[in-house]
Amino acid sequence: MTKRRPVLLLLGLSAALACGKRGPAPPPGPPSAAAEQPAGPASEPEETGPRKQTLLRGGAVMTAAGQIYTRADVLVDGSKIAAVGVDLPVPAGATVVDLAGKTVTPGIIDTHSHIGVYAAPGLVGHSDGNESTAPNTAGVRAGDAYFPQDPQIDRARAGGITTMQVLPGSANLFGGRSVTVRLVPGARSVTDARFPGAPDGLKMACGENPKRVYGNKSGPSTRMGNVAGYRDAFQKAVEYQRTWAKYRKDLSEWTAKKDEPAEDSDDGKDGKKGKKREEPTPPARDFAMETLSGVLRGEILVHNHCYRADEMSGMLELAATYGFTIRSFHHATEAYKIADRLAAAGTSASVWADWWGFKAESFDGIRENAALLTQAGARAIIHSDSPVGIQRLNQEAAKAMHAGRRAGLTVTDDQALRWITANPAWALGIAEKTGTLEPGKLADLVVWSGDPFSVYTVAEQVFIAGELVYARGSLEPRTDFELGYKPGDISTEPGATR
Amino acid sequence: MSTHSTPPRPRRARRLAPAVALLSVLWGMSVEAAPAATQPTAPTQPAAAAPAVARAAAPAPTPARLGPVYLVGGELHVGDGTVVQDAVIAMDRGVFTVVGGPEARNKLPAGATLVDARGRTITPGLFAADTQLGLIEIDLESSTRDDGKATDHPVRAAHEAATALNAESSLIPVQVVDGVTTAAVAPTGGLISGQVALIDLVHGDHRGIVASPRVATAAHLGHAHAGSRAATLAKLREVLSDARSFPARRAAYDRAQSRELAAHPLDLEALQPALRQQAVFTLTADRASDILAALDLAAEFRLRLTIVGGAEAWKVADELARAKVPVILQPTQNLPASFDSMGARLDNAALLHRAGAPVVVAVLGGVHNLRNLTQEAGIAVANGLPWEAALTAVTLGPARAYGVERTHGSVAVGKVANLVVWTGDPFEFSSAPVQVYVRGAAVPGVTRQTLLRDRYRDLQQFNRKNK
Repeated sequence: MTKRRPVLLLLGLSAALACGKRGPAPPPGPPSAAAEQPAGPASEPEETGPRKQTLLRGGAVMTAAGQIYTRADVLVDGSKIAAVGVDLPVPAGATVVDLAGKTVTPGIIDTHSHIGVYAAPGLVGHSDGNESTAPNTAGVRAGDAYFPQDPQIDRARAGGITTMQVLPGSANLFGGRSVTVRLVPGARSVTDARFPGAPDGLKMACGENPKRVYGNKSGPSTRMGNVAGYRDAFQKAVEYQRTWAKYRKDLSEWTAKKDEPAEDSDDGKDGKKGKKREEPTPPARDFAMETLSGVLRGEILVHNHCYRADEMSGMLELAATYGFTIRSFHHATEAYKIADRLAAAGTSASVWADWWGFKAESFDGIRENAALLTQAGARAIIHSDSPVGIQRLNQEAAKAMHAGRRAGLTVTDDQALRWITANPAWALGIAEKTGTLEPGKLADLVVWSGDPFSVYTVAEQVFIAGELVYARGSLEPRTDFELGYKPGDISTEPGATR
Repeated sequence: MSTHSTPPRPRRARRLAPAVALLSVLWGMSVEAAPAATQPTAPTQPAAAAPAVARAAAPAPTPARLGPVYLVGGELHVGDGTVVQDAVIAMDRGVFTVVGGPEARNKLPAGATLVDARGRTITPGLFAADTQLGLIEIDLESSTRDDGKATDHPVRAAHEAATALNAESSLIPVQVVDGVTTAAVAPTGGLISGQVALIDLVHGDHRGIVASPRVATAAHLGHAHAGSRAATLAKLREVLSDARSFPARRAAYDRAQSRELAAHPLDLEALQPALRQQAVFTLTADRASDILAALDLAAEFRLRLTIVGGAEAWKVADELARAKVPVILQPTQNLPASFDSMGARLDNAALLHRAGAPVVVAVLGGVHNLRNLTQEAGIAVANGLPWEAALTAVTLGPARAYGVERTHGSVAVGKVANLVVWTGDPFEFSSAPVQVYVRGAAVPGVTRQTLLRDRYRDLQQFNRKNK
């Protein structure tokens, strides 16, 4: 801990200089941020009647919670995991699945996807990921654009993904709210896919993208302009909350006294007896401000696209000033340069295994990024930001793990598995429900053909909340979009070599 | 510009030859060139089926790292599908001089210092097909890009990647330390983008990095280049047709007695090697119908065709096999990313191989992570491509696809000594190169990335400095 003191001091100082450690006390605001989303299920539906029990028996089991069994059983009871252990008794009526030679892990979770908002094929009509009309569009919601017929969903599920956060793009300083969805087949709307009880996220973006998009428009055109934009927006949110707090106060006073005559009424003298007090008028609602207020109240989690160490450090200071926490820096190719600061701030880093160099701010990316973060005690996550990469986050984690080991860093298989399960679950605020194989958690899990860190391994079965949603070769759901294109769908003579 | 039936050797090669000999004498290194005839295992020279193509010049070795290397032990995967146990490999002056099994030990000079490769897996250096390595440093910074000619004219056949290459690109060592030693560097943009250069990844050697400047002409099919794929095809036919007749009409053209031509004379000149099958003609095409159009075009103009992209190549695998046309594809590209690739699938490579069509595995559309060739090859294996075929698809396969198999792509006497010694299965994440040799020289394992890593390994130092 002594190692981190200088950083804490540094962050504490900037916070103290502004307005106290926690920033302005969040006043009661307008209706809570969560209520602004279309009502998804707040939690898993209650299960009634006899629950289906499945015993996944005899495979290697990696819990992402510290245990790696070379041979163990996982008992799935309805939507949840009931037990994990060696030689579990077979409950009466349970279906037994023999998994000798296979490996069971938690379902893979991606903190960064644009699947559904940039659906394939990349048509003009499918481009819904960036509301690049103004640098602050905190009021828009990715869920409103999520296309559940995106064929990329099926490919991701076949790669073992059970949950993903779908984010607006990074054109704007404030891109809008994200939505966390499960990759269940047959969803007809985002509500069907929404992860029950998952909080919303707010997509923010540092650096080059907002500069590039707005440099020749309204601005910002510099990193100075970017930061001024964040400060301006959060300050307005503070004031917005203040306005609403005042209204609430006025309203409660009015409610308490509304039947009393107004104090200043000139009772009786001119015959205007019993004049009623005027009901306070509510302030105008501003959905962007409500998103930011949700951030200030800690109800909405900040997911911040940010590459450079200096910018991430600045964002940590800004967040401390306004009294909120950045849940995860995304891309964060230079996170390894400030791993100690991230650990101290409790901010995770969602990184690639090895992307680098495609833009100036990503030039210093290295494969040891995740391993160095883990070594420093920070929470590392491997994310995809790619409909191709999302299909094999297990392999990306393997690359980062082995790069770390080759550099002499200690990374256990369990830690590397957490990069794509437990840690993203934490970043999305759903760690109580999924991300590890532990009794009581949702049965979101993957059965792999072998070691999930081998290039030759594939996902053979995928379960979401206890339900088999993918089985290689026998249950491979296809979205509406792809119907009619597969050989055999229409023509039985595809001219193909099969 | 004149045309060459053989591309000129890089100038450095000629100038260095005496220096090489002198250094060898000074350092007391014995040089033994094993005659190819005594090669024990070695059907490594490709069959004579390939038409005569431009031969890549044996490039100059990097002077500072001269000296023979003798590797003994290990399992050698030659690149052509054969495997040699307890391999013996000698490299000298940039080429393989001995390749064989234990019986080849007696070809090594007495008292030579041997590199022990027992327990290791040895492969040819990996060959990155269709890349812009050395032309792009940072994708989104146009000032660091030299891959495309800025012009509205769609025909840029005379645009040469070789003349823009940056041997000091920080990207080069990053690829080399993970086993990539060779690349076909293609210009981009337009209907005909220009001339593809073959390079060996010798970082910093501006004179020597280009092994052959014009191994192929890169061109494209599909919708994007002329508003309609029909117009694209028509334009290509018009240009190739003018190029074919141009040598005979050159004099008339110079006298201004020619009708207007479909492209600039330099571009028409630059197409001559392809029309004479002295260089490859690559066509980017994903949709099955475009691939068939490419085959027809190649037949009409007698081009030595290689397909790049090939998302739906599996649908026409039999025709590709009959025409012996290689497909450069990226196994992980399984998305219906456009209506041209609705049939994209993970087992594209396996289906092509099963049909007998030559397959090349590549990392397409990005220059920074060509090192992931091994992962792409592994994924092709996981989806049905036999392991040795996957290795060929990243070594000898691309060499054949660019017509440079006489000098590159496999471990054989006389070929350029690009070699990787691995800790284990090259495709597995748990494996890594122990040593990479480019043109016979051991490459140090240092990159800009390892320097960054080591600078930030201990963060305490920064806090101390800031106190």
